[in-house]
This record gives sequence, structure tokens and C-alpha cells, in this order.
Amino acid sequence: MKRLEGIAATLFGLAFLLLSFAVAVETIGRKVFNVSLQGVDELGGYVLAVGSAMAMLVALAGRAHVRIDLLHDLMPRSLRILLNSISIFAIALSAVVLVRMAHIAWSDSISYNSTAQTPWATPLKYPQGLWLASLALFALFACVLAAKLIASLARGDFEGIDRDFSPKGTKDELAEELEDIQARGAVAQATLPGSAKP
Amino acid sequence: MSAVAAGIFGFFLMVVLMLIGLPIAAVMLLLGMIGGMAAFGDAFLISSASVAWGTMSENGLTSIPLFVLLGELLLRSGMADRMYMVFAAWLGRLPGGLLHTNIGCCALFAATSGSSVATAATIGTVALPSLKKRGYPMRESLGSIAAGGTLGILIPPSINFIIYGSMTNTSVGKLFIAGIVPGLLLAGLFMVWIYVSSVVRKLDVAYDEVPFAERVRLLKHLVEPLIVFGIVIGSLYTGVATATESASLGVIAGLIFIIAGGRFSLSLMQNCFLSSARTSGIILFIVVGAFVLNLALSLTGIGEALTKWATSFGLGRVSLLMLLIVFYLILGMFMDTLSMMVATIPLTFPVVSAAGVDPIWFGVFIVIMCELGLITPPVGMNLYVVQGIRSDGGPISDVIMGSIPYAIIMILFTIVLIVFPQLVTWLPNLMRGA
Repeated sequence: MKRLEGIAATLFGLAFLLLSFAVAVETIGRKVFNVSLQGVDELGGYVLAVGSAMAMLVALAGRAHVRIDLLHDLMPRSLRILLNSISIFAIALSAVVLVRMAHIAWSDSISYNSTAQTPWATPLKYPQGLWLASLALFALFACVLAAKLIASLARGDFEGIDRDFSPKGTKDELAEELEDIQARGAVAQATLPGSAKP
Repeated sequence: MSAVAAGIFGFFLMVVLMLIGLPIAAVMLLLGMIGGMAAFGDAFLISSASVAWGTMSENGLTSIPLFVLLGELLLRSGMADRMYMVFAAWLGRLPGGLLHTNIGCCALFAATSGSSVATAATIGTVALPSLKKRGYPMRESLGSIAAGGTLGILIPPSINFIIYGSMTNTSVGKLFIAGIVPGLLLAGLFMVWIYVSSVVRKLDVAYDEVPFAERVRLLKHLVEPLIVFGIVIGSLYTGVATATESASLGVIAGLIFIIAGGRFSLSLMQNCFLSSARTSGIILFIVVGAFVLNLALSLTGIGEALTKWATSFGLGRVSLLMLLIVFYLILGMFMDTLSMMVATIPLTFPVVSAAGVDPIWFGVFIVIMCELGLITPPVGMNLYVVQGIRSDGGPISDVIMGSIPYAIIMILFTIVLIVFPQLVTWLPNLMRGA
């Protein structure tokens, strides 16, 4: 699971890095040299479609999808487990609904041979096919998590559910950030030379 | 049930489901789906399919992950850490000293749009030890960091503006430019408050006397972030680039600085990729959910019915906006701010548009309401981040009390903007093609 998260994040990052390179080249080319690589806009849309599914998967793997945890911590464990269960099922169901939507869009594009209204006139079945596949991966991931939750429920592993399915509060997120801040030596970077003495 | 009753019931149901801790994005998506399918059956699913594709492949939204990536690159490469030092050297001597540094640094930091927790955490971590060492009062220190950290969503580039622009068909470029003057004014007002309150209370703290030559030398650390900011905002303002293009130019410029400064490493990139994927995933899931909900509201006619109902009270522009300040103040106490924004735009935007409010102006208004939500308890994210960083184990009430003056300033400032809307609309109206 952890590896899938890493792979999805890397794919996401590389895709957007390459995209920004292409867009930057296109923008400079168009404004400075009056030469346009047509279709970079369109490419950006396709990268977003596939990239957002990857990003939603990464966020899910990091328990990062926003949940308001104001009441969560005050609830008795039974209620917390109930809500954590509903939450993961709601995400899985939403993901399946998105897959269904993508499937409808994709099959329509196939039956009508739809093409994008752009200079490239891309047959939409290709980008939509990739979009469908990446959403399906997100949905599959969400369903696996839901299955894990059911297994934990069956085993009576309530602590595991609390640990793996509670919303990631500001506290946990902050802890990760503080690690990163320490790793990059932020405090030393920000200290004025010669201010070591109080 | 009338459409108005259905709409109000649906809105309350949604807020309750969110408050008990269900995932915001899924609540919006599924409620929209249930409502739409109850009214139209499978036909709703088919129309939402094209909306989903349209939203998820909309070139304008492509700028969201790009700006997030840019923010992460600047933050994690340490570019921002060094900015703090520069501000400390220049602003440390004013009455209120390093508290100004917090605000100034946050304002410049706003030029990045990575994770807001990461931003507040960075400034807090680098600032608190110096503040403590020099004997700054805890409440004021914590409050200035929590409040300063809210400036990021008003000063461009701002993800909130991109989403608002996309949901209301308003130019993102103009929204960005419109955020500059109010953002700087608000930062200025925060600093005036620090100055005045420090003078009145005769705040006496130590400061480092940095020789002038050294202070000038330190300015080099501002060059990189200012160039990136200049490229992003300059290209937008002159009309050379769209939001997506300016974000791309920013990413490439940031990357060049990182490589040239010898700070490039695979682990840095991996870190940036992971956290920008995560932040983008959170945002985009909420955006998709909001679009499905929006579609259901408009196809069922609930949105229109609610607008008609709300306008039937005949409230003027000023009273309507004052009412909305109260509405957002209360909602912002309990909701995550981005979710609050996307969940309410479909309801409030048509109403204020009907009352003749400028859409760019309203974008700025709603973002200031989000800023307010970041520092109002019980759910104010910045309060918790700042509380999480301090090491003295004091109560969160310190952060809350320290932030209250800033929350009051924000509300008063919003009222000033209602009276003088030109403060917002002046700069974007000067833009080319405006």
C-alpha cells in the first residue's frame, strides 16, 4: 500500500513537472518568438484528469481527506468506529460513483467517436480511458481499505481501526511537518548571524 | 416539500454530516448524487458524467497542482526559512519588533501556496524560539503567527481564488490581482495594531543590532522568492500568461534556483511530490464533490428557488453583506474553510450577484471570511497549528486570546471594503483587457 502511494505520488509529481516545462516553453515561445506549440492547454487538462485521481489516492493513503475532527475526539470509541466505518465506505462509494461517471463518458465517446474541440482533435476515448483507469485504481484502493476495515471489525481489532481510519488531525500532520523542518535545518537557516548569544 | 424547504433542509443536513466528522468531499458528492437521482434518475448520472470530465480536465484547474507544487518547492528547499532572517534584521527594531517580522514574513510567504499547515508550522518553528529568547509575551507572539498565516489565501497566488473563479466563471487572473491591495492593507493593519499595542503597553524586548551593511547584504535572500513572485504575478498582470501558464513559469523558475543553489536532491523532489500530491488530492476531491452538488442544485431548481427566496426579502447590498459576515463568521467557527467556501458559493453567489455585488469583489470578501475562519475557535486550523508548535505547554486559550484582535481587525476591514469596494476593484480594472 505504502509503495503504491509512493508510485502514485511520483507519477503525479513527474507529470506536473513535465507539464510545467512544456507549458513554460510554449508560453515563452509564443510570446517571445511567436511560435506556438499548439495543444499544450489540452494536454494540461488530460494531465489534471489523470493526476487528480492519483492525487486523491495519495491523499486517501495518507488519511488526509478533510474530516472535521472537532467532535471525533470527544466521542466514545463505539461511535468513533461507526463514523470511521461510514467515512471509508462513503469515500469508497464516491470513488465508485466517479468510476461510473468516467465509464459513461468514455463509452459515449467511443460510440459517438467524439473528438476534442481543439486543433489536435484528440479522440476523447484515449484520455478518458486513462482517466477511467486511474479513477478505477483510486476506487480499488478505497475498496481495499473498506475491506480491511471489515476484516478488523470481524477480528474485533478496534484499536487498529482507531489507528488506521481516524481522521488525520492537525496534530499528526504537524508532527510530520516538524520532522521535515528539522531535517532541512530551518531554524539554523533563519537565525541571524551573530545572534547566538541571547 | 417546496424547493426552498428542500434546499434549506439539505444544507443543514450537509453541515451536520460534515460536523460529525464524515469526509467533506464525499458528503457533497453523495448528497448531490442522491438529490439529483431522486429528481431525475439515471439521467442525472449521465449529465454528471460530462460535468465530471469537464471539471477534472478543465485547464484552469490545472493551475491548482502546479501552484501547490511551486509552494512545496520553495518551502522545502529552505528558500522561505532564510526570508525570516531578513525580515528579522529589518523590522526587529520597530516597537513590537519580531512580531512585525512574523506578519511581514507571512505576507511574502503568501507567494507560495503549499500546504497551509506546512507554512504556519515553518514560520512558527523559526519564529518562536527567537521570540521566547527575547522575552516577547506569549499571547501576542502566538496571535501574530496564527493571524499572519491567514494572509496566504488572500495574497496571490491563492488556491481559494482559483476554485472560486472556476465555480463562478470569474477570471482567476483578475481575482489574483484583486487580492493584492486588500492583502497588503490587511498585513499593514496587523502591523499598525502591533505597533500601537506595543507602544501603549510599553513592550520592552531585546533586539539584535544588525549593522546596516549586513542588513543590505541579507537582502540577497529575498531575491529568489521575489523573482518567482514577480514572474507569477507579473505575467498574470500584464496578460502574458493564464494562471496555469504563470504557475508553470513559477515552477520552472523555482526549480532553476534550487538547482543553481545546489539544493537539488532526489529526496527533496520526492518530499515535494508526496506532499503536493496529497494537498492537491484533498482539494480536487472537494472540488469534484462541489461540482456534483452544484449540478444537482441547479438542475433541480433548488438553487434558483433559494436565490428568489433570499432576494424576496429585498435586502440592500450593505445589509445583505453584513448578514453574510455573520453567516460566515458562525460557519467558519465550525467548518474547514475551503469546504465552507465551496459548499456555500452555489447558494450565496447568485444572491449577491442579484443584489449587484461585483463578482471579483465577492471573491475577495469570501476569501477574507475564510481567513477569519482559520483563527476562530473551536475549529480554526491555524490556532491548532500554532498551539502545536509551542514548547512551553501553555493552554490553547493563549493562542485564541492572542488572535482575537486580528479577527476583529479582519471584520472591521471587511466592513471598510463594503463601504469602499474600489479598494478591491481598482487594481484589476487597470489590467489589460479589463
